[in-house]
Amino acid sequence: MQIVSGGVSDVGRVRTNNEDSFRIIEPLNLFILSDGMGGEAHGEVASAMAVETVGEYCSQAEPAGEDAGVTVHGGAMDNWSPQTKQLQNAVFQANFKIHQSAQEHQEQRGMGATLTAGWINGNKLSLAHVGDSRAYLLRAGGLQQLTNDHSLVAEQVRRGILTPQQAEESEMQSVLLRALGANPEVDVEMDEVDLMPRDVLLFCSDGLTRMVTEPEIAGKLQAEPDPGSAAQKLVDLANERGGLDNVTVIVVRMQEESKGWFSWLRRDSGKKD
Amino acid sequence: MAKLSLMFENKMVKEVPIGGRPVSIGRSPDNDLAIDNLAVSTYHARVYFEGNRLVVEDLDSLNGTFVNDLRVERAMLHDGDTIWIGKHSIKVDATADTAIPWDTGRKAAAPKINETMVLDTKARRDMLQQAAAMGERSQFSPGRMKMPTLVVLSGRVDQKEYVLTNKLTVIGKSPMATIRLRGWFKPQVAAQINQRDDGYYLGTGAKIPSVNGAPIQGPVRLNDGDLIEVCGIRINFVVRE
Repeated sequence: MQIVSGGVSDVGRVRTNNEDSFRIIEPLNLFILSDGMGGEAHGEVASAMAVETVGEYCSQAEPAGEDAGVTVHGGAMDNWSPQTKQLQNAVFQANFKIHQSAQEHQEQRGMGATLTAGWINGNKLSLAHVGDSRAYLLRAGGLQQLTNDHSLVAEQVRRGILTPQQAEESEMQSVLLRALGANPEVDVEMDEVDLMPRDVLLFCSDGLTRMVTEPEIAGKLQAEPDPGSAAQKLVDLANERGGLDNVTVIVVRMQEESKGWFSWLRRDSGKKD
Repeated sequence: MAKLSLMFENKMVKEVPIGGRPVSIGRSPDNDLAIDNLAVSTYHARVYFEGNRLVVEDLDSLNGTFVNDLRVERAMLHDGDTIWIGKHSIKVDATADTAIPWDTGRKAAAPKINETMVLDTKARRDMLQQAAAMGERSQFSPGRMKMPTLVVLSGRVDQKEYVLTNKLTVIGKSPMATIRLRGWFKPQVAAQINQRDDGYYLGTGAKIPSVNGAPIQGPVRLNDGDLIEVCGIRINFVVRE
């Protein structure tokens, strides 16, 4: 399958600086998004560190066995692919760096970041996630959330303490249970998803999902085939609604290879004589 | 009143209201929207109301029916959508009183009030204990979600029972589907089941499944004992102890 993608990050209509960061590394089909937190614009430092560290780590060949700088904690499933394991290690590394930096620089204390990253190899998506940014999959007209929010209210819903409606009305929306940089170690949520042609992936910070409904997101993704334009339209919609937070959107489309005898004819005429 | 506007190269050719009867589209002159073009099949597609939802259905046409950018066999239509058949586009105009009901206005996540903060382990435990005390009157059963089973009652599929272990479950003909449908004309993705925080939700794919006899209007949370029907397959959703 061919993969096309685009991403947009915007400060929104209320905040004075943008503490979201994102990166698309096309040759690797690696997509990384991070929403930073911490006073005095240190959120920017944290989220930038998160996306750069993950990007760099995944760009290198994975150090083998004992030589790996970071041991794999948190019950890495033995049947994850090597790429999924490498992505997990990349996130551990990012967490370590942010935490370290905050230890060394007094003024950065308390800084942290969410991270949601997807790495596609063939039709397999490796997904790594910490925090309340999200990854969604649009398939056959239905939008599905691939990640679990690591927020207090989401955990309360999972445990049956709150209903989804109560969670939405809670004042504790912004309390996170997991983030990069808070502790020297972090529990990264990992998953693998088999992708199909025509699937559309969306990575976004909560600046999008707090302003726009899921059916609207699905509608824009279906209506706009160009991923960059789709991302821009979603950001514009979030801003139209108030743009209360920084908003970042990455859209990735899995295209079918064009089949059928028309494409065969075109290819063939190129080679003749 | 909903209507379809047939366009050709940005000029409107014909406008047809959609009422109680399906609107047929195709090359034959006895269609409601007759399109005289070789790329269009004799009976190409039709548009009709199903309850108060507007649906377009491809009638196994040669070149396919497209909604916005996507090729469909059957899909829900919304105001402003464009149906593409050959070089012709058909604009869908569905006014407020025929609007398709979505989860009304509910944001994907509620607006934040405070700055984000992260809880450390002790604070997190304390918070969750407080929250548990507050939520004791909730009707949901606490604890980990049990993995439900789909028990096939009738229809051509590859197994009799499926335990749902994944976040995403596809019902369809695709080799990647969990529940693989057999048969020539089955869609790649007929329907899908998505595990969310508070349960398992059944959603549409190329087809609109029914739960306990009623076609779904959007993603529907499944309960123990629900009967799912799609593509002639009948499945029982069971949560075993």
